[in-house]
Amino acid sequence: MARNKLALIACLVIAVVALSLFTVRSSYAKTLYVGGTMALTGAYAEDTAAVLAGYQDYVKYVNETKNLAPWRNEKFPSDISLELLWRDDELKPPKALSIYEELKAKGMLVFRCSGSPQALALKDRLFEDGFGAPSMATGPYLLTPPQSVFTYYPIYTDSLAAVADWFMENWKEKRKPRVAYLTADNAMGRSIVVPELTNYLKKVGYEFVGTQFVPLVPTSPPTTQLMWLKKKKVDLALGVMINPGSQPTVKEMVRLGMGPNQPYKIVFGVPAPGHTAVFAAAMGKLGDGYVCAGSFPPMDQLSIPGIKFCNDLQNKYHPGKQVTHIMYEAGIIEAMTQTEALRLAMQKVPFEKLTPRAVLENGFYRIKGLETGGMTSTPLTYGKGDIEGIDKVRVDQVQNGKVVKLGSWPCRHLYKRK
Amino acid sequence: MGRQRGTFLENYAQDMAIIRTRLQWAMLFIFLLLLFSCPLFLSDRALTVMTMIGIAVISVHGLNILTGYCGQISIGHAGFMAVGGYTSAILSAKLGWPFWATLPCGALGAGVAGLIFGLPSLKIKGFYLIMATIAAHFIIVWLILQLYGLTGGGDGLAVSRPEIAGFTVKSKGSYFCLVMAFACLATYTAQNIVRTRAGRAFVAIRDNDLAAEVMGINLWSYKLQAFFIGCVYAGVAGVLLVHYYAFASVDLFPFMDSVWYLGMLIVGGMGSTLGALFGAIALKLLDELVTVVGPGLSAIVAPQAAASMGLIAHGLVIIIFLIFEPRGLAHRWELVGAYFRLWPFSHEERE
Repeated sequence: MARNKLALIACLVIAVVALSLFTVRSSYAKTLYVGGTMALTGAYAEDTAAVLAGYQDYVKYVNETKNLAPWRNEKFPSDISLELLWRDDELKPPKALSIYEELKAKGMLVFRCSGSPQALALKDRLFEDGFGAPSMATGPYLLTPPQSVFTYYPIYTDSLAAVADWFMENWKEKRKPRVAYLTADNAMGRSIVVPELTNYLKKVGYEFVGTQFVPLVPTSPPTTQLMWLKKKKVDLALGVMINPGSQPTVKEMVRLGMGPNQPYKIVFGVPAPGHTAVFAAAMGKLGDGYVCAGSFPPMDQLSIPGIKFCNDLQNKYHPGKQVTHIMYEAGIIEAMTQTEALRLAMQKVPFEKLTPRAVLENGFYRIKGLETGGMTSTPLTYGKGDIEGIDKVRVDQVQNGKVVKLGSWPCRHLYKRK
Repeated sequence: MGRQRGTFLENYAQDMAIIRTRLQWAMLFIFLLLLFSCPLFLSDRALTVMTMIGIAVISVHGLNILTGYCGQISIGHAGFMAVGGYTSAILSAKLGWPFWATLPCGALGAGVAGLIFGLPSLKIKGFYLIMATIAAHFIIVWLILQLYGLTGGGDGLAVSRPEIAGFTVKSKGSYFCLVMAFACLATYTAQNIVRTRAGRAFVAIRDNDLAAEVMGINLWSYKLQAFFIGCVYAGVAGVLLVHYYAFASVDLFPFMDSVWYLGMLIVGGMGSTLGALFGAIALKLLDELVTVVGPGLSAIVAPQAAASMGLIAHGLVIIIFLIFEPRGLAHRWELVGAYFRLWPFSHEERE
């Protein structure tokens, strides 16, 4: 019995020692944190899960290779490791606030706001504390002042202006094209129903007809609204919709014989939340003609360096469990932006003296032409008074069930906060 | 508060007192001293969480008067908070009124909204009243979004930080003290309101409105009074929330918050001032726990494992309380208190 007890004690000691050896992190003494709040609960749960996966893979990539992207020569300091910190804010601003305080106390120097409600609630605090934060929030008209929440895609009014520009360039008839809003009946959808966009449409030669609202997620086909468009002889319908709204709308359009390839010719254009990549995958050829502006390239276009990078990362870190959602790219872009800000800041300020404000001023504000491998409409450029990283809007269309890039149009910066 | 054995009341003043012994006064004094000195030793995060708890406590006290005492179930409480918050925000941002003027106006605005949406309670009750209050929430939010020129619509409205005698309540510590002062005041007034004639009428209406009416209680008046008082509390909470963020947005008042406020009452104990306090603290802390545990769980299982964990945890806790302790934490607290009051000899042993 005594021998058995001794053997047991010895085994325990060995196990404890072995365990302690495994848990020792001898390779890196210094750690910098990236991440922030993620809205993993609620309407954007699926999108955010993909964003989180992007962050996780990028952090692993930088820690392993010390590279920042395959197309870049700069290296991340070899003695410093990155660590991802995140919390689920459930889309609630109060929760985002306590998460911010928690992660700040843990020593984060950069932050991330998941969406507009969180960014708007936090922006003043972030700026007071000197935090720079990439965000999926809306554009500079709401986020400035101050100037420390950074975006990487255009706002809805600019996206739809780009769709209008593209449509007008291809308009063949002599009469003015008729345009109307067909948009979601919520704050997001209504955000485009503003005089600035309407005036722009009129200025570039459209005849503005009116507005129709559709529930964010329609519970019945929006037949009445579409018939109204038909009756008013609308050529271009513009609106903000998420895919659960745009898909049933376009299905009903096709049923009613409306669309670019249907007896009644009409084009339906939306900004980024109605991503063409998600739309085309679900709708196939039924969705032909659907236009989306301000989105990211589809995940199957491996000829684009950024997409190939995403694909390689996924094959390396979770083969067989590919994240196909387009917002994976957003996670990579945000993690890349945060890492770049930290790297640039360390060029000016030693690691030991890094503060959030030092990273904001010597990092985020010094990001000029950050190449994202074609994932964003243009390379990202930030600075004081410039928190919108891009200055062009990518426009895509579903053709033969596939996403085809139509081109890029300039950001018009139409909407100014009163 | 309970008395120790052998402590007898000798006059009406003693009988009416909320705090009855010197020990209780001393404990209250120490509690308040500790509470208001929290900014000296607590982290920013702890202060933020406690500020949120304080705001929730004020709101839940209002709901407790309306639902817990008067039996008028409302799931539109976040909507009434929005009315208070926006009233204050508009007066502050558009007219430049100081915080001390906008606060009562916000409270009054929410109270008036409560009166308007409380009118159906005279004709309907139970499930139908729940539906009416849900409708109230959505009507309020819809109005806020439509009145763009006034409310900023979906863009929201920037609001200045409160100013008291030239001092801007800007730091987390100072705002914490402001919220806690209102939370203490709300708790004190709530405890007193339910002991008044109106409070007793509320309880009578809750227990049996027909019997209450037969006894001469004016249902029309008292139900509306309950709506008004409950919504005034919600208004104060809304004002404090909006000024804390220095920003008014409909996203600060999601519909689910109304449901969770009711959940706080269930967990804490409906019809008890202490219950409202316990419920708000318990569910807010659970919220924090879930947030902290989420990433760990996702690392072990999958990122999606953290998703909706907050909703699930809240729901589960409410179900557990409904089944095993429908009288809430306040009842448990009373049992524990009774045990220690009788310790070391229980009542049965004395008998």
